[in-house]
Amino acid sequence: MPDAPDTLLDAPPCASDPAREDLPLETLPKEPAFRHSRLQRLADRWSHLLFLACGLLVVALIGGILYFLAARGAGAFLPLAGNTDKVLTLREVFLSADWDPNSGKFGILPFIAGSLSVTGLALLIAAPAGILTGVFIAKMAPGWMKTLMRQVMDLLVGIPSVVYGIFGLMVVLPWVSGKWLSDSPAAGFAVSAAILAVMIVPTIVSLSTDAFESLPLSLEEGSQALGSTRWQAIWHVLIPAARPRLLTATVLGLGRAIGEAMAIQMVIGNNPQWIALMRGATDQTPILRFLFTPAATLTTELVQELPNTAAGSTWNNLLFAMGLLLYLMTMGIILATRRLGRQRNA
Amino acid sequence: MPAAISYRPRRLSRVTDRVMRLALWGLALAFIAVLAAFVGAILKQGWPVLNLGFLTRMPETLDAGGGIKPEIFNSLYLVALSLAISLPIGLGAGIYMAEYAGQGRILRFLRLCIETLAATPSIVLALFGMIVFVQMMGWSFSIRSGAVTLALLNIPVITRVTEVSLLGVPRELKEASYGLGATRLQTILKVALPYAATGILTGLVLTAGRAFGESAILVFTAGTNTSQTFPDFRLTVPGETLSVHLWYVTSDGTLPDAREIAAGTAAVMIVVLLVLNLSVRLLDRFIRRRTR
Repeated sequence: MPDAPDTLLDAPPCASDPAREDLPLETLPKEPAFRHSRLQRLADRWSHLLFLACGLLVVALIGGILYFLAARGAGAFLPLAGNTDKVLTLREVFLSADWDPNSGKFGILPFIAGSLSVTGLALLIAAPAGILTGVFIAKMAPGWMKTLMRQVMDLLVGIPSVVYGIFGLMVVLPWVSGKWLSDSPAAGFAVSAAILAVMIVPTIVSLSTDAFESLPLSLEEGSQALGSTRWQAIWHVLIPAARPRLLTATVLGLGRAIGEAMAIQMVIGNNPQWIALMRGATDQTPILRFLFTPAATLTTELVQELPNTAAGSTWNNLLFAMGLLLYLMTMGIILATRRLGRQRNA
Repeated sequence: MPAAISYRPRRLSRVTDRVMRLALWGLALAFIAVLAAFVGAILKQGWPVLNLGFLTRMPETLDAGGGIKPEIFNSLYLVALSLAISLPIGLGAGIYMAEYAGQGRILRFLRLCIETLAATPSIVLALFGMIVFVQMMGWSFSIRSGAVTLALLNIPVITRVTEVSLLGVPRELKEASYGLGATRLQTILKVALPYAATGILTGLVLTAGRAFGESAILVFTAGTNTSQTFPDFRLTVPGETLSVHLWYVTSDGTLPDAREIAAGTAAVMIVVLLVLNLSVRLLDRFIRRRTR
């Protein structure tokens, strides 16, 4: 540029100089060589506060959710103002499996056990299937198959949970009950977990594909140079090497599964007394009873009863406490993935 | 390449290798089959119901033969409103994280918060929206309660996609901008953001798809009823969306043709999502061609 102003010559050296490549860009020109209009200088100086405010809003939201759920949930345990209904002890809520709100029994263990059962079953299917599919996409599939599998996973993750629910209700439940249960209803953990597994598998697949793709090629080459087959390299070298990230993928899948509400609510049968029912049905094998007894989880009970309970009642307050429990679980899961990530970097 | 392999794995290993290779192909094909069976079954169940009348009639509360006209409108309206709320906030937060936060503790903390919000179950967001907007603000079950709460679901996704897209802007572009004397704000608004726009747009379409399918949040904030006038742009009326309608008719059970209506609604939603997915793919291809 022949007619550039002289002052530009005083500007810091251009960052394409290789010695300066690693400097953060922001350390370069703090003060431009010519003066901008007053308005532009003001805008530049203060605009970052606006952006910061957006970021802080997210922080405030995290705290706000915690505060409001805790404030409402506490109503079940403390005689707060405007709380006329019965007050419960932590013990009779969290350590009791006795759920019968109409006679004042509020033990939420059946819901916690239900959530853990359905999530555990779903992970039992989705974690191995997802990790193996991840290996397949990263290390085995030809290019066109990679693209196809990515698109399949994109579609699976994009399908709304109510559509999964209606599929379970109209297709899977009748099919399972007709095929295997001689027409007795199939609602329960098995079908819920199967649908949940399909819903969370894309998360696990995409994260474990990334995990395998980020491994150094030398691992695989070294293993095969020592004479191992493809599968031996995968099983004995790649999967152990990727383990922290595979664990992260599984934990994030767990997080998605435990919070899912609508799809499960449509197929699980919504029966808070499932433990008693399971014990009572002695004509079937225990495993079948476990898989096909109508049950309930934390999320399904929320969806089911939130519209039916009066604001301020013990039952209603307790539902918010259950929501808080779910929220704390999510936070625990995120912190757990953080810790796993730190192990990986160490 | 050596002419002959000096070591051959044991026979068992070779068989295992082949079996596992087949098994992994089988697993992958099984996922394709599940997806195909799923979409096929939904479309097959919904096809007989789908006609112009179904799409353009008002819903019934007790009799058979209701349509989903207002639900389609409410779905689009709520998605648009929630995006209008969450886009500026998500953009702002994303810009802050990519351009201002540096690499230190602040960035890590913001990331943690965004991740937590992204992982928060929608039923928990629904409870929050119900306490704050429906009850405390006194907005009751309405479009505005629904739109604001739905925005909470979008914000972390938009923030993340903005941050990632901005971090992908080539350093040389920003250097050139600074070199020409632009301020930091001018560089972000006039150089970095336009470059990142297509990436952000892709994320936005995906966010719209997610908001379109969301039900748990809207059941408890926008309600399960809809206005009797059409189109009703008021923010204070309840606004049942397609996904809520689908859930409500099946769980409520007062409609004689609930099953058909649910099947038809599900088919409409699947078609909309397939179209959205296709547009994301086209956008993506457009971006690749431009950057090549």
